[in-house]
Parts: sequence; structure tokens; C-alpha cells
Amino acid sequence: MPALGGFLWLISYWLIGEVVIHFTALPISSGVIGMLLLCATLAVRGRVPSSIAAAAQPLIGLLAMLIMPGVVGVFFIAGELAGQWTAILIALVVGTLLSVLTTLWLLKRLIGQPSGH
Amino acid sequence: MATNTWLSVLTATPLFAVGLTLAAYLAGSRLFQRLKRPAWLPAILIASLLLAGALALIGLPYATYQQDATWLTVLLGPATVALGMPLYQQLPRVVELWRPLTICLPVAATLAAFYALAIAWLLGSSDTILASIAAKSVTAPIAIGITEQLGGTTALLLGALLVTGVITIPCVSLAARLLHIDDERLIGFALGLNGHAIGTVRAFEISPTAGAFASLGMSLTGIFTALLLPLAWRLIGMGG
Repeated sequence: MPALGGFLWLISYWLIGEVVIHFTALPISSGVIGMLLLCATLAVRGRVPSSIAAAAQPLIGLLAMLIMPGVVGVFFIAGELAGQWTAILIALVVGTLLSVLTTLWLLKRLIGQPSGH
Repeated sequence: MATNTWLSVLTATPLFAVGLTLAAYLAGSRLFQRLKRPAWLPAILIASLLLAGALALIGLPYATYQQDATWLTVLLGPATVALGMPLYQQLPRVVELWRPLTICLPVAATLAAFYALAIAWLLGSSDTILASIAAKSVTAPIAIGITEQLGGTTALLLGALLVTGVITIPCVSLAARLLHIDDERLIGFALGLNGHAIGTVRAFEISPTAGAFASLGMSLTGIFTALLLPLAWRLIGMGG
């Protein structure tokens, strides 16, 4: 079972992240530390070992399902946030539109001219 | 009460919550395909609506469900670590574009959080709400970690993520038209940076290049925000 070995790597990196956070009090989640460690390890080795690919690929495919229990929670806090929803929605919609405009404008200035002109 | 007996028999182990989640996920994905993959209604939203409906129908309290579903959600840790693999596969592209990226990414990723926070703050939202929507453009597994650091509500964060992801798609088409942009690389990057996984899925429908740039935008925004947002939050004295 190569996937099992890969899974052990992923869990170990996550646990290392926990230990790092405990001792440094960095305001980062252990998942992000583990992700950066994994990326660095792969960069040093210059390739993705098949055991890690076998564990990582299906887990990434399952991400949507893994966050579902949390997503469902939003329907159960709807009542607590009554009266706040308009502000939240305006902030998200207008904020996203402004942010998309800024991103595209910046990218256009920095990366290149549109290809079709 | 017969129904309560049934419920207590079934919920004696966490397997009922796990099974319910799997069933809703599969049914949601099937329905999503059947509806011809609408961009405004992601599969995860359909599945979550089904799941919420099922919980309400059988009278299982959300707190009980959430506790039992920990058997699944604990996998979010290693799954977040697993994102290091696609990140590694994108490194050549990062090296190739390091100069524009070092300027654009910090500004764009900061503004992605800032605009929404500023508007919500002006409209009088509470600190908890601000902490919950701050990571709205970050991919869910990373955003959950950030929100826990900031002291926000995960449920509200995930709702904000869904809204942001869905709204990013029409926003990008509109902005690209206004700015006369038809470069798929830029459109893809903007989709991933602002609309995380939902935007990235849309970008892959445009073209593989757009998709690759969207995943790049999504990963880099996630990392940048995860490293700096909790620190910035602490500096401005929010959340204690």
C-alpha cells in the first residue's frame, strides 16, 4: 500500500506543523506549515514520490466533501446573524468586484498586453 | 417516541454522520451533473443544502452531527498538507513570472481581503463577522486555519467563501470586458486569486492555461494570506 506510506508523510508533516506552532507561537495553521514543508521536500528531491502522489491526489479530490460539515453550519447560524446579512452580502459582492477590477488592472500593467490587439 | 429511538440507535456511533455526509455529497454531485454544471450553483452548495435539509428533517441537532463528522473533518489537516504537491508542480511557473508576481500578488491578495473588510466595517459589522469574512478569497482548507487564528466563525467563513467564489465568475467577465483583457493567463489568475477553488474550476472550463494560472493564483493567495493576515490582525489589535 504505497498510499498508506504517503498518508503517514502527510500526517507527520501536519504534526510537525503543530509542534512548530506550539514552540514559536506563530499565527499560522499547522496545515499551511506542513504544506510548505512538503513543497520544500519535493523541491529538494526534484520529483514527487509515488507514495505521496497516491495519498495526496485522492485527499485533494475529497476536499469539497471534507468541508461540507462546516458549510452546513452556515444554515444553522442564519438566525443568530439576522439583520447582519445585508451588510455581509454587500461587503462580499462589492468587495469582490473591486478586488477583481484591481487584480486585472494590475496584471494587465505588469504581465502583458492582451494578445488579440 | 419511535423516531427518537431510531435516531439514538443510529447516532450511537459517528458512522451515521459520516454516511449522511457521503450520501449528501454523492447526491449533490449527481444533481450538479444533471443540472449541466451551473456556475452559480456549485456542487458543494447543492450537497450542503441536501445535508442541512436531511438534518432538519430527521431532527438531528447540528452540534451532534458536527461532533460525529469530526471523523471526516480531521482529514482536512493532511489534505491541506497534500496541497504542497500541486504547489511544487507549479514552481516552474512561479520562477518564470517571479517579477510581476512579487509586485502584483501581495497588493491584489491584500486588497481582496481589505475591500470587503472595509465595507463590512463601514456598515457596522461586529469583530467576529470581520474575522469570519477576512479570508473570503482563500481556498477553504487554508481559510479555515486562518479564521481559527483570527477568532472568526468557520460556518460564516464557509458561507462567505461560497458567495465570493460564485460572484467572482461574473465579476471577472465584467472586469475583463471593461478593461479590454482577453489574455487567458490574466483571466485565469484573477479567477483563482479572488474566487479560490470555485474560480479555479471555472478557469479550467475556459482552457487548461487559464486553469493552471488560476491554481497558481489560488495557491499563492492562500499562502500569502495565511502567513500575513493573522499577523496583521494582531498588529491592529483585533480579536485579542
